[in-house]
Amino acid sequence: MSAGDVIGGIELEVVRRGAGRPVLLLHGAQTVDPRAPFLEMLGHHAEIIAPSHPGFGRSARPADFETVYDLVHFYLDFLEALPHEKVTLIGLSFGGWLAAELAVKCRHRLDGLVLVDAFGIKVSDRETPDILDVFNTSPQEVQRRSWHDPATWAPDLDALSDDELVIRARNWEALCLYGWNPYMYNPQLKRWLQRITVPTLVLWGSSDGIVKPSYGRGYSSLIPGSRFELIERAGHHPEIEQARAFVDTVVKFMNR
Amino acid sequence: MDAWWQCEVPYPFVPQDVINATDSVRASLPNRYCDPKIAADLFEEVIDEFLLCDDLGLNVLAVEHHAGINSLLGANPLLVGILARQTRQVRLLSLGTLISLRKDPVRVAEEYATADVISHGRLEIGFVKSGGTEMASNNANPVNNIERYWEAIDLIKKALSHHDGPFSWEGKHFTHRHVNIWPRPWQQPHPRMWSATGDPETAAEVGRRGMVHVLVLRGPEGTKRAYAAHRKARAEAGLPKVTTDNFAYAAFVYVGDTDEEGMRVGSKLLWFLHTSLKSAPQYSKLLPGSAPPQAAPQIYRTAPKSGSTGVMSAGQNAARLTSLSAEQAMAQGILFAGNPDSVYKQVMDFYDKVGGFGHLSLVGRSGFMTHAESEKSIRLFAQEVLPRLREIKPITAD
Repeated sequence: MSAGDVIGGIELEVVRRGAGRPVLLLHGAQTVDPRAPFLEMLGHHAEIIAPSHPGFGRSARPADFETVYDLVHFYLDFLEALPHEKVTLIGLSFGGWLAAELAVKCRHRLDGLVLVDAFGIKVSDRETPDILDVFNTSPQEVQRRSWHDPATWAPDLDALSDDELVIRARNWEALCLYGWNPYMYNPQLKRWLQRITVPTLVLWGSSDGIVKPSYGRGYSSLIPGSRFELIERAGHHPEIEQARAFVDTVVKFMNR
Repeated sequence: MDAWWQCEVPYPFVPQDVINATDSVRASLPNRYCDPKIAADLFEEVIDEFLLCDDLGLNVLAVEHHAGINSLLGANPLLVGILARQTRQVRLLSLGTLISLRKDPVRVAEEYATADVISHGRLEIGFVKSGGTEMASNNANPVNNIERYWEAIDLIKKALSHHDGPFSWEGKHFTHRHVNIWPRPWQQPHPRMWSATGDPETAAEVGRRGMVHVLVLRGPEGTKRAYAAHRKARAEAGLPKVTTDNFAYAAFVYVGDTDEEGMRVGSKLLWFLHTSLKSAPQYSKLLPGSAPPQAAPQIYRTAPKSGSTGVMSAGQNAARLTSLSAEQAMAQGILFAGNPDSVYKQVMDFYDKVGGFGHLSLVGRSGFMTHAESEKSIRLFAQEVLPRLREIKPITAD
């Protein structure tokens, strides 16, 4: 891990792993755990660049930086600063929202887009929430709906170190700041998804109870030529719960 | 010293098994448990109690809380409007419209200016930060709540005091390009402003702004610490010292004929602590922004490691209060109860412990206390205690 990258004047934590074709990985509600097995697996095929968004993890957040608009423009700078001409962009959950926004704006720097259980748009009617309100739902219910097998995968907060808990709280606060209202979507994004011209894979955990596979299908249908795939026995975090299947699917997509 | 009577209009008539089964009596308890006919009777009684205060010369205070059994006053300006017209002599404190939950502070300024005019200049304007379940109930981002609080106060103050035609406001959280409220307030430049807070950073800002600083159920140590932060910030900013008139304290108060009656009936007020604070963790300790991330090890673990976190958050203060007995509440200066002499003595003991304050707010009716019990306490307080408190003149204390 490096904690010294400075992009656009912001000191950034970046996890780097592996070698091969470049992948920019944008994390979800929680920052990427450097020990996560999927990093090692994917690292055999790709050079992974996984920054923590400003305000998350150990990345700084300027005081006037508190909207997804800021994050998207920050990542446009980030893409410009990468030495690679093109990258595969993978966005998980909240990071999937950022990835979709970036793919709308910056087609020329991407050679592929993977949205994984992504937030970002409004699919259902106005009285049907698409995305579980994690801030107004009991923590037990949030965990139950996050995993196919919560007993195995829900984090045991008592077992985490002080540092890890502080990072979780920081991530929680940043997510709330950026995503509180409208809750985890940009009302304007849906109509612009048609601008995405890079090959796109929309990947979903079949048991995701945070944002359901039907939402993913709807998302996919709005992106020209995109493919929708389910990962079985996985909830909102297929990269963690089914790391092997996740990596195989992503690698197959990259080698298409 | 001045005194202000308040009742939050709680709704205690939810079956106990429902309360036991729910994880939160605020924000998420279905309103089918609120019978509008019972609510109407409650408002009738409580507004009559406010009017009795007016007859007896005891100032009145209207709060705002949202979507829970603790209070039916989700719409503070409505009660303030009623009291502005129906009371005739006492001062009226709105404490207050929860401004960080409202999208348009200019509308709040209009409501306050109107109430000030209707009351012929008897309005005082209090601001409360809100938090907890009210963030969910009002779709209000908890992380930058305090920024909205101060910006809304700035805008309301300017809207009330600017009289030269439309001005424009393009702030971080609020934009309003054409502000020109009618009527303007009766009191010039604007009604006196109050702010309720216990945390030292906000207390310091309250001090620099010279607002009346009110502490609610904080006990002597937390109250003294907040007043000190207020005074210290003024001194550091080179501002003149304030008198005790800038400080207020809100506690449960019940006055009976005897100590036994005062304590027996007064202990009913603790329903507020024991029952109406029940709040699910996502609305309290896990709410983003309610505590700094560094506090996470204490908050996230089921069995926190021992160690001091310094100043308690509002949520931690609430957790401490839910298990308090009447005796503990009295010992901690949260409940003043007894006969008139005892209540006067308890208030003055607290006054001495915190270095003085100029306003006592009486949380005078809560839980299952009856209308008759409430009116009895109002009469005894106004006739037997208040005249003695009025003898306490503002002083400049360090």
